[in-house]
Amino acid sequence: MKATEGTTYRMLQSNLSRITTSLEELRIQGATGIKLTKPSDDPSSIRPVLTTRTQIMHTDRYLETMGVTLDKMESTDGHLDHVENILQRMQEITINSINSAMSQSDLDTLADEVANLKAELVDAANAQVDGKYIFSGYAETTVPFVENTAYDPALYNADDSTTWPYLYQGDPNPTELEITPGEKLEANLTGNDLFMGISNSVMQDPPIPPNLGYPSDTGRIDIFSVLVRTEEALRAGNVDDVTGAGGGLQENLANLDIAADQNRRLRSQLGNRASRVDTAMFHQEDVLIDLQQILSRYQDADAIETFNAIVQQETALEAALSITAKVSQISILDYF
Amino acid sequence: MGGLLTALNAGKTSLSVNQKSIEIIGNNISNVNTEGYSRQSAELAAYPSMNFGGFFVGQGVLVENVRRDHDVFVTNMLQEKSIEYGLQDGQTSALSELERIFPISEENLSTEINRFFDSWQELSANPSGLVERDTVIQLGELLSKSFNNTTDDLNTLKENINDSLLSKIDGVNSQIKEIAELNQRIFTIEIQGQTANSARDQRDLLAQELSYSLGVQTYYDSKGMMAVQLPGGLPLVQGNMAMEIEGVQNGADVDLVLHTGGVTRPIGLNNLGGEFEGLVHIRDVFIPSVQNDLDRLAYEIIESVNLLHGGNPTFGNPAGGPGGAGLDSSTGIDFFTPANPLPPPPASDPWKDAARNMSVAITDSNQVAAAQVPTPPETVAPGDNRNALLISNIGEDFLIDGIDNFGAYYGKLTAQIGIEANQNALSLGGAEDAMIQLQNLRDGLSGVSLDEEMISLIQYQRGFESSAKFLSTIDEMIGSLIDMKR
Repeated sequence: MKATEGTTYRMLQSNLSRITTSLEELRIQGATGIKLTKPSDDPSSIRPVLTTRTQIMHTDRYLETMGVTLDKMESTDGHLDHVENILQRMQEITINSINSAMSQSDLDTLADEVANLKAELVDAANAQVDGKYIFSGYAETTVPFVENTAYDPALYNADDSTTWPYLYQGDPNPTELEITPGEKLEANLTGNDLFMGISNSVMQDPPIPPNLGYPSDTGRIDIFSVLVRTEEALRAGNVDDVTGAGGGLQENLANLDIAADQNRRLRSQLGNRASRVDTAMFHQEDVLIDLQQILSRYQDADAIETFNAIVQQETALEAALSITAKVSQISILDYF
Repeated sequence: MGGLLTALNAGKTSLSVNQKSIEIIGNNISNVNTEGYSRQSAELAAYPSMNFGGFFVGQGVLVENVRRDHDVFVTNMLQEKSIEYGLQDGQTSALSELERIFPISEENLSTEINRFFDSWQELSANPSGLVERDTVIQLGELLSKSFNNTTDDLNTLKENINDSLLSKIDGVNSQIKEIAELNQRIFTIEIQGQTANSARDQRDLLAQELSYSLGVQTYYDSKGMMAVQLPGGLPLVQGNMAMEIEGVQNGADVDLVLHTGGVTRPIGLNNLGGEFEGLVHIRDVFIPSVQNDLDRLAYEIIESVNLLHGGNPTFGNPAGGPGGAGLDSSTGIDFFTPANPLPPPPASDPWKDAARNMSVAITDSNQVAAAQVPTPPETVAPGDNRNALLISNIGEDFLIDGIDNFGAYYGKLTAQIGIEANQNALSLGGAEDAMIQLQNLRDGLSGVSLDEEMISLIQYQRGFESSAKFLSTIDEMIGSLIDMKR
């Protein structure tokens, strides 16, 4: 068996094309930094890569949502602070009115101040952020608290919210946002829960007859009623008579305590949730970095490895080219 | 004198034989780069000796035969390997196109799906926002467009394969006809006792090319003619009769048929080999399975979103789903155009053509059902985001056969393509190497080596010179003989 020119050049050509093809692939790898450019590069790592990318997108979204949640909670907390201040001032006024000997005109002055505080409370309850009412539940375009035009002090019934001085037009559903896979968190407080002491689950069901409205939960109270009745008691000068105008200042002092507690308790609940969101944010940011690492392991090309391989292949290419040139120089025809 | 004249004759034979040998060498050298050429050499034999006064004297040399260096074993091996090589080569460009249609870079179908469900998550943070609602509709449309475009790309690939087949059929038919003609020519020449060397070379080369294209089998019949048949037995060349292959347009498809003397037979996948088999396999088996998976993915997305969005009953879910409500309290509105509304039940798989027809059904952003269905007479509150949260979570549920979520299903689909392409690249490399090795082997046995030819050239040139010298010596001897009588 002999070696003809045909066999020699065929071998040289196939080797050259093999080297240049693999060199091209390595150069693409080196230029893009990615070793997984098409499905045939590594079929078994396609699924982990796609899943990891999805997870990264989700984690970004959760971080965004948590940022929004924290913003909402912060603005809510600002208003709760204001409510705390109002209630504190109310307590001072009420204690003052009971303890010192005051004339009716003094009491009227105090009653005017209470009326102003009541207006401030209504403003705080009807606060808006970004054009939406924050204490309205889902009905974010509806004013949560409006004055009850049919309010009659004589008909006041603590168990029936339709007899109270302010009516709640909002929705008893707090906004839930998803902050981590499968976990939902209430991002705000509803007006009925905070100001009226009626829990959301009670208000989501129809009212129990013979009442047309809802009662506050045991140990909770409607804050608006307390302020309005305190004003009535001050104007009537009623300190002790529970059945008289406004139910008496003593009773209202006790109610103010309950109201302040109610505000503080919900405020601390909100604060706990906010710190939960904070820790979740830190955790998710770490998770994001881990995911990027996993993704990189599958799809990124090791720069040093790639460049080494390129140098290796280029050397082989040089050798093959020089041999090809040499072969063509030696021929029997030179010796004829 | 008789002896001198006889010697003159012997010298003359030597001159012409050496000339002929040099001609043959010249032919070899001219054809050094001709594909499929077998090196030819002259078989020299001594003239039968004659009895001169009791002992035999040779009468010179003659060319008995011009023989080509030929190895049947290697030729058959080359044909076999060409079939495998053709099969892999035919699939390569189609597979690399498929890899382009289903990429795994940053932008692919899985990213679109993720973005779509992500927009629902964004909507849940601001359910009454018109911008977020519009974004949901837009991303739904982009997703549908992606599915539509991918289906279009697959169809274009099928059309390209069809065009490719049609363009190759003419070439194949002319090769078949040529083999039949060569059969006739070789038979006519060899019946007179000569060997038709270059015609045989040509016929072998054509057989190899047909093996590459069609995966044919060849055998020699009783008259020494080459019979060619497709795998499965359909004949292409019988004796000096050539059959014809035709590509028949059948709607958007191209079917192959064989015309055998008046009878037309269809050529199916099991009757093909080589390049044609590769192309037809991709067109008729692989692409439809990819399309099927794509349709299934589109169908599952449409169904699961619609169930939570409008809740209308479909063929796959006759009981319907919970559904949600839009900002304008509208309910029962489908987000995507349903793939299989009731009735009637579909004739084949319920997800056939789902990817091609996928589109968004709503245009009014108020109808995007982010809220839960309110109990009447209540209307939908603008901050209600419960349905949006539910829909955004579909993306992670294992909804396809309870095993895969949407992203993972797409990953399976592309991995399938990747494995096929990878396999093809490996097989192609192996087949190429084998072909090169076999061709080198063939060249080693029947190729032209310039060194060999040059040396033979010297040999015959010297032979010619010495014969010429011999003749001039005889000439002088005859001259002296004649000079004897003055």
